[in-house]
Amino acid sequence: MNDHITGAMLDQYSTGGGTAVWAVEAHLERCALCRERLSAAVAKRSPATTALVARVQAALAGEVIRSPRMPARRLPGWVCRWAPPELWPWLTMTMLVLAAALGLDLVDSTRVVPSLVLLVAPVAPLLGVAAAWSGGLDTAHELVVASPRAGLNLVLRRTLVVLLVVVPALAAAGWLAGVSAAAWLLPCLAFTAGALALGELIGLRRAAGVLALAWTVGVITPSMLSARIPLLLEPVSLPYWAGLVAVIAVALVARRDAFTGWRSDKWFVR
Amino acid sequence: MVRTVSTAETEPANYGWVIQAQGLRVRAGRRMAVDGLDLSMDTGVHGLLGPNGAGKTTLIRSIATVLRPAAGSLTLLGQTLGGRMDLRGLRRQIGYLPQEFGFYRQFTMREFIEYIAWLKEMPTAEIPGAVQRAIDRVGLTDRADHRMKTLSGGMVRRAGIAQAIVNDPQILLLDEPTAGLDPDQRLQFRALLRELGTDTCVLVSTHLVEDVAAACTDVVLINAGRLIFQGVPADLAAAAGDKTGDGDSAAERGYSAIMRRHREKEA
Amino acid sequence: MRRIARGDQRAFDELYRRTSPWLAVRLRRRCGDDDVVAEVMQETYLAVWRAAAAFAGASVGGSAVGWLWTIAARRLIDAFRRRARDAQAPLSALLAPAASAAEDVVLDAELGDVMGAALGQVAPELRQVLQAMVLDGLTVRETAVLLGVPEGTVKTRARRARIALREALS
Repeated sequence: MNDHITGAMLDQYSTGGGTAVWAVEAHLERCALCRERLSAAVAKRSPATTALVARVQAALAGEVIRSPRMPARRLPGWVCRWAPPELWPWLTMTMLVLAAALGLDLVDSTRVVPSLVLLVAPVAPLLGVAAAWSGGLDTAHELVVASPRAGLNLVLRRTLVVLLVVVPALAAAGWLAGVSAAAWLLPCLAFTAGALALGELIGLRRAAGVLALAWTVGVITPSMLSARIPLLLEPVSLPYWAGLVAVIAVALVARRDAFTGWRSDKWFVR
Repeated sequence: MVRTVSTAETEPANYGWVIQAQGLRVRAGRRMAVDGLDLSMDTGVHGLLGPNGAGKTTLIRSIATVLRPAAGSLTLLGQTLGGRMDLRGLRRQIGYLPQEFGFYRQFTMREFIEYIAWLKEMPTAEIPGAVQRAIDRVGLTDRADHRMKTLSGGMVRRAGIAQAIVNDPQILLLDEPTAGLDPDQRLQFRALLRELGTDTCVLVSTHLVEDVAAACTDVVLINAGRLIFQGVPADLAAAAGDKTGDGDSAAERGYSAIMRRHREKEA
Repeated sequence: MRRIARGDQRAFDELYRRTSPWLAVRLRRRCGDDDVVAEVMQETYLAVWRAAAAFAGASVGGSAVGWLWTIAARRLIDAFRRRARDAQAPLSALLAPAASAAEDVVLDAELGDVMGAALGQVAPELRQVLQAMVLDGLTVRETAVLLGVPEGTVKTRARRARIALREALS
């Protein structure tokens, strides 16, 4: 009802009787004026309620002074939901590796060997991605995996945070080392998506480890030894990388149930 | 607050038992930790007892829908787990405290439990009230805004219980919840368990026979992945017969008597 | 709420002054034992005081005091559960469900409270279930605890109430 409750009805409601209780209570939830009027009616007509209110107030007065209060929030709520704090140590480690690669590049200004930053770039996010969803690196993993929200969306959310931290850092390091971002961006995305897709099959930590190892042994080491930029990172390969990303993305979505965490223990990474 | 009630909510329950396992076999590592288990549980507090390696944790993990069974059937709230099913609705009704309770050390207790509440897809407006209620129920009100890393072992465990009950689940799984609690806290915990048992199906896995005897409405003994006894605590104590065997209390004597008989039978 | 979060005790007293009579009346209509009502109110306001920053931050929804009722209702359910645990009689049994007199039904209809009039024609135990679930926002399990009846009974009564309401409204 758009108008307010009549005084008579309020009086009846305050003493425990009353008609139209449904509408009265629904209205009272919305209307501060009628609550004030109800307070007045209670004071007049229901001594039991008044006594109760006073009694609780007295009890509260003592408790409130002694009671610990919640301090103001350190971080807004959404920060906690997007980036659990366990990711940060691993991201820091990634940054250190990048800094080391950059340092070596700057020392080697004559470009005897290909830029380390370029070689490391595709696998740089993998440590953070592994930490986003693995029993060893995420301490609360058991609880996360058992929760309703577990699934591809949550994994992607955390992966996005990793990328948002790692990719700009790579871009900065690349700029300092004289490497263009176009060269490594697509391979980087392909490896991230590939780790997720492979992780659906064998567990994310293993997948990240396998891919990082394969890249190091198969591409970085030969490239350093032969002092040539690997074919896979040449501009001509870029369209293939783009195609790979698309294919992996489709495979990822097709098997997304794997990330809801209901798996037999063989592949369950603790 | 006024809300709408869906038709689905008032449909009559189509299941007899809240948790029902038939011929359940679950692998843990290389061996079959749960090996042909038949178990039915309804509302109340069920104490899960058994020696180390009996498969208690594996059973709890499979009910928490973390581990997929290798064979057999597991039915929770009338839904049989299997194939490609959407576990989200079911998981919203489950609360779980793992044996190795991992948490985010940098978070305050309130932030951590709020994060878990968000993971459990609780409506955002309800989260602060539910978190405060859970913290009050486990008795950690004055530590609510301290960081998790500053808490003692017993408090961490109680925070774990709080995150399990924050969404007022219908199925509550507690794996070794009393580890690290002093006797006074254990008493409070037992009172909380009895309160929860009035309308929730609680499964408590523990080594302490006394906890089970005091707070549980039902005792489940498993060994080597199979059920060897299920009954009320009085039956457990009665199983000792008149022998004064090992154990300081009737429940402990009953427990060792049953275990001994079972081993003799298996041998 | 933000002022309370910053520790302004006067703001908290003001909140108490404005809302406690309403909350007390509403709680007393659901629970016959004043000691329990006092306990629930104390817990509710203490929770508000302690976690004010959290409540201020989250969106509290359209109703200005609905969230306060949600906290109080849940604490009431906890108190009822504790009594059930200690095998005491459920507290709602102390209240006789008010049967609407015929004149009340007419009055409701005159006021334009169609819902209330329709409810007046429905049997009291069915009305109680609807009130608990729709008006108070409780789930089936919580309603079962509040009224001291099994969950199956709550569901059956809710279904019958819905049918009866539909008939009364048509």
